[in-house]
Amino acid sequence: MNIFLQQIVNGLMLGGLYVMVAVAFTLIVGMLNFLNFTIPALFMLAAVMTWAAMAGGFGGGVDELIVTVLGADNRWIAGAIIAVVVVILASLVIERFTYRYTKTKYGDATEHALPLVSSLGFLIFFEHLVISIWGSDTLTVESPFGHASFYISSIQFSIPQTISLGLSLIIVFLLSFMLQKTKLGRALRSIAEKPDTAMLMGIDVGKIVPIVYVIAGLLCAIAGILFTINYTTVDAYVGDRVATIAIAGMVLGGLGNVWGAILGGLLIGLLEVLSIYLLGASTVKISIWGLLLLVLIIRPTGLFGHTSIGKGKF
Amino acid sequence: MSKSALTITGLSKSFGGLMVIDDVSFSVPKGSKMALIGPNGAGKTTVFNLLTGVYPIDSGTIELDGVDITHIPARHRITKGLSRSFQNIRLMPHLSAIENVMLGQHSRARSLRHQLFPLGLLPRNRWAAQARRALSDAGLTEYPGQIVADLPYGIQKRIEIVRAIVSEPSILLLDEPAAGLNEAETEELLTLLRKVSAHGVTILVVEHDMHFVRNLCDNVVVLNFGRKIFDGTPDQVHLDPDVREAFLGSDQDEPVASDQAPVQGGSHVT
Amino acid sequence: MSGELEGLLVILSLNTIYAYGVFLAATSGQLNLGAAGFVTLGAYASAYFTNSFDGFGFSLVLGIPIAVIIVGILAFLVSFPILRTRGVYMVLATYAFAEVVAGVIINTEAVGGAAGMPVDIFVPYYFVVVSAVLVSLFCFYLMSTRFGLAMRSIHDDENVAILFGVNARMVRVWAFTLGAIILAFGGALYGHHYSYIETQNFNVLLSIYILLYVLLGGTQTAWGPIMGALFFTFVPELFRYLGGVTGQRWIEEGRFVAFGLLIVLVMVFRPEGVITRTMVEKVFSRKTPEQGAAE
Repeated sequence: MNIFLQQIVNGLMLGGLYVMVAVAFTLIVGMLNFLNFTIPALFMLAAVMTWAAMAGGFGGGVDELIVTVLGADNRWIAGAIIAVVVVILASLVIERFTYRYTKTKYGDATEHALPLVSSLGFLIFFEHLVISIWGSDTLTVESPFGHASFYISSIQFSIPQTISLGLSLIIVFLLSFMLQKTKLGRALRSIAEKPDTAMLMGIDVGKIVPIVYVIAGLLCAIAGILFTINYTTVDAYVGDRVATIAIAGMVLGGLGNVWGAILGGLLIGLLEVLSIYLLGASTVKISIWGLLLLVLIIRPTGLFGHTSIGKGKF
Repeated sequence: MSKSALTITGLSKSFGGLMVIDDVSFSVPKGSKMALIGPNGAGKTTVFNLLTGVYPIDSGTIELDGVDITHIPARHRITKGLSRSFQNIRLMPHLSAIENVMLGQHSRARSLRHQLFPLGLLPRNRWAAQARRALSDAGLTEYPGQIVADLPYGIQKRIEIVRAIVSEPSILLLDEPAAGLNEAETEELLTLLRKVSAHGVTILVVEHDMHFVRNLCDNVVVLNFGRKIFDGTPDQVHLDPDVREAFLGSDQDEPVASDQAPVQGGSHVT
Repeated sequence: MSGELEGLLVILSLNTIYAYGVFLAATSGQLNLGAAGFVTLGAYASAYFTNSFDGFGFSLVLGIPIAVIIVGILAFLVSFPILRTRGVYMVLATYAFAEVVAGVIINTEAVGGAAGMPVDIFVPYYFVVVSAVLVSLFCFYLMSTRFGLAMRSIHDDENVAILFGVNARMVRVWAFTLGAIILAFGGALYGHHYSYIETQNFNVLLSIYILLYVLLGGTQTAWGPIMGALFFTFVPELFRYLGGVTGQRWIEEGRFVAFGLLIVLVMVFRPEGVITRTMVEKVFSRKTPEQGAAE
């Protein structure tokens, strides 16, 4: 039983990070009405950048510079900074080549899918860019924080992981607060409801949409940075694994709903742990995606989603 | 056999509490040409949408040639003889003119044999020939194989009408067929519609161009705020006080008598 | 014929078949991001039917068609619930479906589970090539029919198509099902040519790649899938050649980087794909506009 509870705790810890990616996904689906498949790639980029800074993956002068400036133990700081910068730049580039083109000329089915398709193109681009530089094997690094942990009735909680989980939740809470209470948040929500009306009301859609991309990107970046620091093993495909939980969590929680994505993500994380524990690791795919398929067919809006989102759009 | 091509009785529809069509009844005699007019927002296109089954009605009946089609799904209404064109052009942008027209034939070619016949590989087949003929009858001599998305507005508009005609309907519903057409094109349209009517097809048009209505139609029904306020001939419509109030009161085009100058475009309330 | 050229032809043929499988759905407005699911089912089902030791031991001529038709029936049944979803949801549903298929296969020991399964009967390269040609011809034929017209109408404006009597739902179901049958056929050929199958061969990336190169080729005409397949088969070879010649590994890996970049650029500059209806019309019509109208 203890092992089981430990598994659950571990699952929730990891899930807590993945949940940020789910929120990023759902933010873009909710605000901009398309499925941005680059999100897991941004997570992966951030994770790999952090690894590279920490493990000397940049090669030559850059690595030395980092060690000189920060000291070998604090290389993760450089990693975090580089990850954030890279992800923000990437987000802006992606925005430039995806959202701008949602203005449809003919309004037909395939045209609506354009941003989704572009995002798939970017996904392949980034994934293989990383592979061509660092290969497809796993990349490991020493954790600067060691294995500090605390115990609650013999269940081990890793301190860095707990802090990360807490950080994730705080950030998402702040995001949610921003969306509800600030002027920017209101502008974002009005764009989500009716982009044309928003423009007429004087909201500068052209300036705000990149902000959405950057916010989503930052969420992925933070998750990626925390992932590398806590789990010390990354590879170019880590984004795919995150994508599973992130997409599944988003659908379960309801497309467009931030707290739904959190709840959904955590539930899927739990489902994953339970599947592995009860039925074996190989059944995870069936459990998670089977559930998802059912949800999409029977109640596509998930637990908390709005019916208007996603209908007829990509 | 009914004398009326289309009879609407007590048609009503609300959208979210707003009554957009309120107890509308009228009858379109077989073989006649009728106009449905009214200020913008009066509900004319909504009537068309209800007739073709785009929305379900709240109450009332629709009879086509004596047959009650009120509850028949939209997909089947065209086989009963109801065909339409649209206010905003709704051609398939990636299909050619001829292919768009051939879609109009679909309701007459639903058997499996017809569905699987390789029309594109045997270009001299009778369906393509009929479509080509229909286009040239309408004065459309542009290359029929060209994608419609690139064609001028006036041409697209008329292709749409040809599409509706080739389904060989008993009644043709045309939503502002003359909108955006120049004088010459409007004349060609009138000629085409007179020809179609001579073949026994009943015509119901929604229009703002009163010159067009006067030249084509035998009867006029006027809607305002979803209600019928006039049912009579084109000569009398501009004399009716309710009609005058509807048009003058909301700053719209006034239906003019034939001896007055054609109207200028009024302000359009969306 | 050299072995390498044979190998390349097989890859091109398979890519073409996969392309047509996804094309049929795409041309009627549905994006299938789970193509690999049907390819997998086709590969495993056909192997199971033709293998003599741990399967039914049917002959090729019997085993492959039966397997493919069974997958078709499954696709038909599955299409009803899946095609009720729209847009984002449909993309996710097809994606989920493929993952479920992969998951089920991994857990089915009768077909080797995660370890994969050997396939006894071998299918030589020319068989695969001829099959690809036949599939192409079939799709050209289908697109030229009224059914093909209905598919393209639904893609452009489903609601209007319905008003003209098109049974949109059944057209979409049949487009999806026929596409699935073609994908399954491709999978069967893959299995019988390479003599070994495992789910890794048919993963999510395959689904993504197929959809992308179909969209790249163009979904308006039956020429698009061929273009997409040609591109996806030969450009990587070009990169591999360049990489080999210059000795730089990153050029070889760069073939996918370039592919990703290309997708983005094509979506920006030519979103309808390389081959459009207008282009085909221009290439094939030798008549002047006046002659065409006078006919």
